[in-house]
Amino acid sequence: MTDAEREQRDDALWREQCRRQMARPLAARIKYGFHRTYKPVMDDARFRAFDTTADYRRWCDENLPEWLGYRTVKPNE
Amino acid sequence: MNEGREFRPEQAVEIARAFATHEVDYLFIGKGALVLLGYPGMTQDVDVFARRSEQNGRRIVAALGSLDFMLSADEQAQLVRGKDFVQLKSGPFDLDVIFAPDGIASFEAADARRLEFDGFRVADPRDIIASKRASGRQKDLGELPLLEKFRQEYENAHPRPLRRAQDISR
Repeated sequence: MTDAEREQRDDALWREQCRRQMARPLAARIKYGFHRTYKPVMDDARFRAFDTTADYRRWCDENLPEWLGYRTVKPNE
Repeated sequence: MNEGREFRPEQAVEIARAFATHEVDYLFIGKGALVLLGYPGMTQDVDVFARRSEQNGRRIVAALGSLDFMLSADEQAQLVRGKDFVQLKSGPFDLDVIFAPDGIASFEAADARRLEFDGFRVADPRDIIASKRASGRQKDLGELPLLEKFRQEYENAHPRPLRRAQDISR
């Protein structure tokens, strides 16, 4: 299978999965779509408020483990 | 800490009902909103985009109280003042209340494009994706291609009549 064929196949599979999920009832979408795991640092406070969204992004960059994926991608990265 | 606090289907209805009862101006956004629409992915919390006003802030506080969120007087004040981003982990599930999400010009603009079903007020997938793109976060940028394909499938399944010339250009 060429890369192009694989990409086409994967695209079709993803779109089919989207259609299947949209056809499910709301309760099923929520049951399978929300799952909570402990996020170090993020989940260690019961309340946080940030004056600006930029402040929140900066706090994530400076405090959260990188593997959580909250870090903002800098230009040229 | 806080293990086992899952977002259950009935809680989704409770949020929508509580916010409606207290006349909160809000929209579900983020990947949670896309999950409600049928996105085949997973998320860990619920994000809402709320209109910033003291009146709406008071309504949010009242609605959250009815959902058993425990908020101190100071925390309530910060919600009423409408700080851009408020994270709540003191209730039955995690909730982010966002008054100024990245990539969305205004609540009014997003609200005009909202989707409504079963009592849920959800931002248009295009606005949700624009916000994720603007956030610049690793986890969001990596998922954008999948989100865009879902958006296309969603719009194919739920065509909306064009109302304005700018709807074509978006």
